[in-house]
Amino acid sequence: MLKELAKFKGFSAKNLPKEEPFAPGHRACQGCGEVLALRLALKALGMNVIAVSATGCMEIISSPFPYTSWRVPWIHIAFENAAAVASGVESALKALKRKGRFPKNRRVDVVVFAGDGGTADIGLQALSGALERGHDFVYICLDNEAYMNTGVQRSSCTPYGAMTTTSPPGEKSFGQMTWKKNVPAIAAAHGIPYVATATPAFFLDLMNKVKKAALVDGPAYVHIFAPCPTGWGTKGEESIMLAKLAVETRIFPLYEVIEGKYYITRKITKPKPVEEYLKRQRRFRHLAEEQIRAIQQRVDAEYERLLKLAECL
Amino acid sequence: MKPILVKGSEAIALGALAAGCRCYFGYPITPQNEIPELLARELPKRGGVFLQAESELAAANMLLGAASTGVRAMTSSSSPGISLMAEAFSYMAALELPAVVVNVARGGPGLGGIEASQGDYFQATKGAGHGDYHFLVLSPASIQEAYELTARAFDLAEKYRQPVMILTDALLGQMKEPLILRKIKPRKYPKDWALTGAKGRPGRVLRSLFLGPGELRSRNELLQKKYRAMRREVRVESYLLEGAELVVSAFGSLARIVKEAVNLAREKGYPVGFLRPITLFPFPEREFRKLAEAGVRFLVVELNCGQMVEDVRLSICGSTEVRSLPFPPSDLPAPEDIYREIKRCLRSPRR
Repeated sequence: MLKELAKFKGFSAKNLPKEEPFAPGHRACQGCGEVLALRLALKALGMNVIAVSATGCMEIISSPFPYTSWRVPWIHIAFENAAAVASGVESALKALKRKGRFPKNRRVDVVVFAGDGGTADIGLQALSGALERGHDFVYICLDNEAYMNTGVQRSSCTPYGAMTTTSPPGEKSFGQMTWKKNVPAIAAAHGIPYVATATPAFFLDLMNKVKKAALVDGPAYVHIFAPCPTGWGTKGEESIMLAKLAVETRIFPLYEVIEGKYYITRKITKPKPVEEYLKRQRRFRHLAEEQIRAIQQRVDAEYERLLKLAECL
Repeated sequence: MKPILVKGSEAIALGALAAGCRCYFGYPITPQNEIPELLARELPKRGGVFLQAESELAAANMLLGAASTGVRAMTSSSSPGISLMAEAFSYMAALELPAVVVNVARGGPGLGGIEASQGDYFQATKGAGHGDYHFLVLSPASIQEAYELTARAFDLAEKYRQPVMILTDALLGQMKEPLILRKIKPRKYPKDWALTGAKGRPGRVLRSLFLGPGELRSRNELLQKKYRAMRREVRVESYLLEGAELVVSAFGSLARIVKEAVNLAREKGYPVGFLRPITLFPFPEREFRKLAEAGVRFLVVELNCGQMVEDVRLSICGSTEVRSLPFPPSDLPAPEDIYREIKRCLRSPRR
């Protein structure tokens, strides 16, 4: 275990931080899982952060001029370069500290919030560059599995079979025809000290992982699964339940990769069938038996692979 | 034919389908998502390809790849996305590849906003990327025209082996109007340059790197010659020019508001005319010059800080007065705002 993490005891329901770096009153949809994850992540990080946001839902809903939900320094930039801008901010902090113009021991966490499109598609190059260079920052991908801000277009994180406006099911197609891109694995392949997956359904787990990501020296990547009632065609009050189901069906397993070693943080010994998760969402309503079977097989195989990775300790 | 009610962005997509567009590459950005959404549904049915890329950079270069095979292909985006595509545009111009690019422009610079803007006039007409090149630029003012110009753009692109841009804005892209889906006969041009596999013929080469002595110069001269030849395609809409002492000029969706202001002024007896460039490049220099020689003054109204006014001034070489009435993006002007300026212009003595 990394020495930076040794002292961290973890949050519990009794010792949650009181601060709310992300203020209420924003314009997110009812039941938005993404904004909940964002709020929890910031709560874990505290007030000493500089947040960098790529374009996306969270940027739009949190900053309709002249209002803002950000109680911490915040910079928004174009879609493709959140990790690059964070690299610049982190470098500047280093330079200021070196020149004695900023207290050397004062901890400031640079954290990126980007969606799945801004991470897995257009921002992947900048993310890879920043991870490779080893900047001390946290990259949080809030994955709601499509470009929701522009009206539900597919991304490379959209799951197999899902209907979006640019992957419409019909005679020639059953929706998204490709498998979800495994971005945590890509991040881990950079050999960075910390990678984790989380969902707001397990909120303490999410907060602990984000905090750990900030505590380690060097880059850290946290992939957060965030249900989107608007884009998925689900009920707002079901978001947490769906996030939980995604874990319980093994569709979205929760794990950490610490210095290249995999740890499954929530083992699912008796998985529910994926159909239970799929049938509750309009985006999967058109799926036939055949595709549901293919999804189940893929989920099983992926989980096996993950177990093997975790066993090789 | 019965009209249908569609958004401007949808009319553009329908125009592309009517012209036989077979490939679309794009990336989500507001306010043009109706174009990819419609084509995602329609293109696969017609044996075409709809492909959502991982970025605008990739989309524009996919367009380059598809165009080099001679297939009718397009991309669309909005201002910041077009900026990202600029490198590929320069390459496409150099390779003389026919392709259609749609910019449903929004306010800038930077993230700007998502409201209508004409701030990309320079970017569109002067070439967005590096080097001496131009798009052929068409700018529709109505949804019917958006449909027809998009279809025409594919013909022009092949005729001149040249990327063609449709420059429109959020206003036209997002509003609905009746559209008559007039049948369009795509014209055929020889594709003796396309890379289709050199079976039974000598191989072909498309390149934009010229290192030999004088090579790059002759490539540039060739492009310039083509740009001069494109002047044949100049189109304008003129209105009430007879007896006009002042001509108000605007392009795109704003021209509709300007036209109403001109009507208002005419009703009150002011000698005002209206001239709308439909091709922004090549610019209708001759049309402006002719009016200037007749002693007409100009008022150029734009949804930006004053860009097209520079081309008007260049066209007439200081022979008459040209005033600029810029509306930087944010709010749309009302016809009355323009009408007031028309009155002011006509009352002031000639400079």
